[in-house]
Amino acid sequence: MDDLDVRVRLTVETAQAMRELGGRLAGLLRPGDLVLLSGELGAGKTTLTRGLGEALGVRGAVTSPTFVIARVHPPLGDGPALVHVDAYRLGGGLDEMEDLDLDVSLTESVVVVEWGDGKVEELAEDRLHIAIHRGTGTAADDVRQVVVTGVGARWRSAGLSGLSVACG
Amino acid sequence: MADEPLVLGIETSCDETGVGIVRGHTLLADAVASSVEEHARFGGVVPEVASRAHLEAMVPTIRRALKDAGVAASDLDGIAVTAGPGLAGALLVGVSAAKAYAYALGKPLYGVNHLASHICVDQLEHGALPEPTMALLVSGGHSSLLLTTDITSDVRPLGSTIDDAAGEAFDKVARVLGLGFPGGPAVDRYARDGDPKAIRFPRGLTGPRDPVYDFSFSGLKTAVARWVEERRREGADVPIADVAASFQEAVTDVLTRKAIRACKDHGVEHLMIGGGVAANSRLRAMAQRRCADAGIELRVPRPKLCTDNGAMVAALGAEMVARGRSASDWDLPADSSLPVTEPHVPGRTPATAPGHHH
Repeated sequence: MDDLDVRVRLTVETAQAMRELGGRLAGLLRPGDLVLLSGELGAGKTTLTRGLGEALGVRGAVTSPTFVIARVHPPLGDGPALVHVDAYRLGGGLDEMEDLDLDVSLTESVVVVEWGDGKVEELAEDRLHIAIHRGTGTAADDVRQVVVTGVGARWRSAGLSGLSVACG
Repeated sequence: MADEPLVLGIETSCDETGVGIVRGHTLLADAVASSVEEHARFGGVVPEVASRAHLEAMVPTIRRALKDAGVAASDLDGIAVTAGPGLAGALLVGVSAAKAYAYALGKPLYGVNHLASHICVDQLEHGALPEPTMALLVSGGHSSLLLTTDITSDVRPLGSTIDDAAGEAFDKVARVLGLGFPGGPAVDRYARDGDPKAIRFPRGLTGPRDPVYDFSFSGLKTAVARWVEERRREGADVPIADVAASFQEAVTDVLTRKAIRACKDHGVEHLMIGGGVAANSRLRAMAQRRCADAGIELRVPRPKLCTDNGAMVAALGAEMVARGRSASDWDLPADSSLPVTEPHVPGRTPATAPGHHH
């Protein structure tokens, strides 16, 4: 990351708000965009992606891709497909994206990768990192801290600051 | 007996290469080659590893099944194969093999649904499936309640998971507890020495305004992770057996409660539980007791028939033949998201099986 990266910090109060954040994110995404989601088990990565999928207008409910590693949601209208990947088990990183046997063009899709940090960055020079932090321990509530970082020229004037509008 | 359909079934939707042979409702062979040990080091199933393993195991497993069953390939009445849902590359290996054998032998090809197969397999254990039957399918990739009036043509989804599948929750909790992969058997084993009431973990989607037949296991998974993190932060030992037992209790409580509710709401007197999680000892015991209390007859196949296998595909294929359902076309695709409402993939023109009539 360098000084030109765009960074937005958000506080997300509820699971519903996380879903809405995914919806606002969908408005900024174009075919070929890569989104990396990081956060502990249960941080809300799949919840965010569900909101994103609903707003993109893709087929099928967005559920955890862990078991199948990657799931393709074809577009219902003219928009891009959503490719939802859980890279947790992809030890070798991006080479293995080819091994997922995805029957879809990645350049014509929005690709969302959970647990992809350090594994899939080379897929695109421009990418969006979204880090979700939840409190640990049983006392914590639903509140999440979200840091959105746009890496590369694609995100410098993409309106990322708009993500914080109406949040929380 | 002899005029019941003799069918070979091939299953490759995930990490097990299964080839089964049945005659009607009678199991003749159930050969399985698993790549689970190769996946264990990744903590899950890796598609490319699975596809390669299927390719290597396919022909030997088919030979073994024919030998175990004591039948010749030429005696078969049809070849059935899982057409979906599952991993695309893995499915393709099975579908390609099934086409090759069916075409070379001059037998009809039946592309069938993996989930419907998990239901139909119970015919090998308990005889003809009652109509209607409520099916609770729980595995690493699925958690669904399905109302079945005819397993070859009418399977209606009532509800399913909105986030993680039940088996996936077992895998992730096992990961948190450091119990290895696959998580289901390990959690089951540790839970036997634990107190299921030690920790009150949340029951997802059981509130009065929640969807009645849908499941959610993501919140439960997070609650377990947080509880364990808190313990570790305090420097306290994590009581693995109690956590395993309490987590398992929460999963089986919700699964059985919703399944019985679905039976009562729809006036269905038979509940079938299938899929890998049906091998869980606590789920079996709790379902047995709650079904008995509710006057519902419970059918759960033996554990080996609950996990993925070829016999279940053969069982559904045999039912397709018995009920005169049309065979699949030679361009039958592997469909990784084949809807559960399609128990099989019929050909576009009926009865296109190649010659060789007996």
